[in-house]
Amino acid sequence: MTTGVSALIIALALSHAAPAQSEVRWGLPELMQELRAVKSAHGRFVERKYLAALSAPLELSGTLAYTAPGRLEKRTLQPRAERLLLEGNTLTLEDQKRRRSYALEQHPPIWAFVESIRSTLAGDLETLNRFYDVRLEGERSAWRLTLRPSEPSMQSMVSEIRIGGRGAWLEAIEVLDAGGDRSVMTITRDAS
Amino acid sequence: MSSRWIIAAWLAGILACAALISQTRFTNDLSAFLPRAPTAEQRVLVEQLREGVVSRLVLIGIEGRASAELAAISQRLAAALRADAGFASADNGEPLAFSRDREFLWRHRYLLSPGVAPERFSAAALRQSLEEDLELLASPAGMLVSRTLAADPSGELMRLVEQLGAQARPATQHGVWFSPDGKRALLVAQTRASGADIDAQERALAAIHAAVPETEARLLVTGPGVFSVMSRSRIKGDAWRLSVIATLLIAAMLLALYRSVRVLGLGLAPVASGALAGIAAVSLGFGSVHGITLGFGVTLIGEGVDYAIYLFTQKPPDSTPQAAFERLWPTLRLGVLTSVCGFSAMLFSGFTGLAQLGLFSIVGLIVAAGVTRAVLPRLMPADFSVPAVDAFARRALAVVRAAPRLAPAVLVAVATAAVFLALKQGALWTGDLASLSPIPAAEQRLDQQLRRQLGAPDIRHLVVVHAPSEEAALQAAEHAGARLQDAMREGALAGFDSPALHLPSRQTQLARQAALPPPEALGARLGEAAKGMPFRPGLFEPFLKDVAAARSMLPMDRSALEGSSLALKVDSLLVRSEGGWSAMLPLRGVSDAATVTRELGSLPDTVLLDLKRESDALYRSYLSEALHYALAGAAAIVLLLCASLRAPRRVFAVLAPLAAAVIATAALLSVLGQSLSIFHLVGLLLVVAVGSNYSLFFDRVARSDEERGRTLVSLFFASVSTVIGFGVLAFSRVPVLHAIGATVGAGAILALIFSAVFSRHARPL
Repeated sequence: MTTGVSALIIALALSHAAPAQSEVRWGLPELMQELRAVKSAHGRFVERKYLAALSAPLELSGTLAYTAPGRLEKRTLQPRAERLLLEGNTLTLEDQKRRRSYALEQHPPIWAFVESIRSTLAGDLETLNRFYDVRLEGERSAWRLTLRPSEPSMQSMVSEIRIGGRGAWLEAIEVLDAGGDRSVMTITRDAS
Repeated sequence: MSSRWIIAAWLAGILACAALISQTRFTNDLSAFLPRAPTAEQRVLVEQLREGVVSRLVLIGIEGRASAELAAISQRLAAALRADAGFASADNGEPLAFSRDREFLWRHRYLLSPGVAPERFSAAALRQSLEEDLELLASPAGMLVSRTLAADPSGELMRLVEQLGAQARPATQHGVWFSPDGKRALLVAQTRASGADIDAQERALAAIHAAVPETEARLLVTGPGVFSVMSRSRIKGDAWRLSVIATLLIAAMLLALYRSVRVLGLGLAPVASGALAGIAAVSLGFGSVHGITLGFGVTLIGEGVDYAIYLFTQKPPDSTPQAAFERLWPTLRLGVLTSVCGFSAMLFSGFTGLAQLGLFSIVGLIVAAGVTRAVLPRLMPADFSVPAVDAFARRALAVVRAAPRLAPAVLVAVATAAVFLALKQGALWTGDLASLSPIPAAEQRLDQQLRRQLGAPDIRHLVVVHAPSEEAALQAAEHAGARLQDAMREGALAGFDSPALHLPSRQTQLARQAALPPPEALGARLGEAAKGMPFRPGLFEPFLKDVAAARSMLPMDRSALEGSSLALKVDSLLVRSEGGWSAMLPLRGVSDAATVTRELGSLPDTVLLDLKRESDALYRSYLSEALHYALAGAAAIVLLLCASLRAPRRVFAVLAPLAAAVIATAALLSVLGQSLSIFHLVGLLLVVAVGSNYSLFFDRVARSDEERGRTLVSLFFASVSTVIGFGVLAFSRVPVLHAIGATVGAGAILALIFSAVFSRHARPL
């Protein structure tokens, strides 16, 4: 009898433990693996910049397009057309007036900044670790990555980047500027 | 005078020379081989090469490890050099230096920025600035702008940073500079001492090597100072090593010939005395002796040792030394005088180094001949004669008798060579100052490669402005800068640097201060400009405060730059010069020098220097000067021979082999791909000096076949010793020594052969 009860308790414990264990096993490696599987993604974004210099937030909107592993395009449509293209190690900024290209290696803080988004999209934990202390909270259906810069030159610009998501989709990117400014970008899946 | 007194006088003379030499300063300053500059521009050029910022640059590459390790080594090396008092700066792309510069730019932005003008602070212009700021805030660069916006809405800092950053910089990996292929970490350091201070340069080089042990990574270090250090040690090493080798080889040969250690020692006495006297004379005449002049100790062995060979070898067994010498002396004396005539041309050269060589050779040869005359007959064993002479003599006579048969072939060859030289003419001589550089071509290439990768200035085009005072020089630099801006708009150049960019003239600073509106007026205009814009009220207080402070700031002078990398830049571009100050504006990417010159046209005391063209022109003018002196020397030789030999046929017979040897040697060097430099010209002079002895002895009428045989044997061994002396020199890594060695080595053999071929007395008596 006692053995039977014990066996039952153990069996019950195991049956409860099983799903719990699978929840625990979901972590950074699994998230990254899932993100790596995404070959391309398109979305619309709304970005609000809360700047100390301004009495009201600036609001920008446009589209985002990602193609694995290294191409990211951000097209701002409102209030002013502007395009940011990250391809390989080149960052290109373009507006109606001019177009400028930067080699990322020559601008380490900018490089670190763009990798926060691109490497997350690409599931490239190695690159993320190179620039940031990476922390993951939540579960697969609602997770949040917190990135804190490890390089002093980057720390003087950005104090923290928070990326929220669900599964393999990034829903929000919040950047806390070291000077106290803040920007929040929310991304919705393209209807098309 | 008795023998004893003569020998005592000789020894006393040697001691005096040795005492003098022990007090002598030996230099390796390569500028001794740069021409004495006649014009103001050329003085600036030579000064820049010797002392200027260019001469203080040390370029460093680190190779042979993974890039992350190289970056760590680069950081460590840079830190070590920054802590070293011998270095003014060490730059490897770390943001360190830049942050200090940035702080300076920020503090003085309203005095430094070319944008500061009265119209910049009108309500309308401020409105435009604010609209641009708002656009920037919305852009990806927005967060950077928001830091400085409140204190600098018109963006003066951005303008200054862009102006600084316009210069090409290498790519960065792991936060430090790397070559494009990522295999070489790059640093550029600047020594505090000038490139001409070789001892300081040597210490700097040692500090670099001490910071990175050889086992850790491969260090490539170049730069003018490094080159000076290397060539000094090379010249020292080569002059010493090659002198020893040549002396040993010649001594071994002579020992085999004389079979007497005493006679061998005696035979070296004229050379040693000549070398000591030569050095002492240069020391007295010039105040110091150049290392390269010392290198010529070797060349003197080549000819000086011949005098003893002539005496010892030509002495018949049954004659007294004095009688043998009397028979020899008239020919030998003429040979010495001929050489002296040839070398006297060099005395007048504008190159201090060449003039030293000339004096050294003349004094050395006269003393060597004098010692041969006064000392050797008195000290040599009375019954001495060279044992092996007879066997040699028979063979030598046979060869020489056969030689004239070659005359037609030699004539054709020399005529061909002459035609070849005539056709080449200008192309025969190099017009490049770099040919005087003691640096091997491979190291010059590495230097250029590192320079390119580092984007270091390879200063070629330079605008130089002269003015009576520092302020006037800065003002003049500003005027020149405005014209250069115009030339840039026309596409004639890519950019330029100027001391006035980092330290504007007082006049300009005062004008900029005057352009800043008083606080109330500025506040009112700003309020008007910001109307309807989303900027937080009171945001621009720091701007109003900073402008007010800038209005009452004391204009900055050189001391305001202290601690930033700009201080070094200003110091190197703004220098005190003869009768005032010079400002230098190095140009980048000049595609149309004519337009630049036209734009600068009417400015007073402002010249565009093309350093490469200027230095090459300088070199060419000295080359042609040296050629003229050489021709004058040749004319002096002809006159001397005419006066001594008194028969045009004999003069011709003596000169023809020499001329043929010079022509053939020059053609040979040219065919072998050598572009002839001033040093080859010196070599050809030496060929005439050495070769004249040969042709004079061939010209001498022999009293007997036996005497003729002895003469031939002495000439043979004399030429072998010359070829050994100079042939060894041809192995030197120092281009100067190599050039002279190869020229004289080949020329001496040809002079001997041609003397035999053209000999009038070859037939048996």
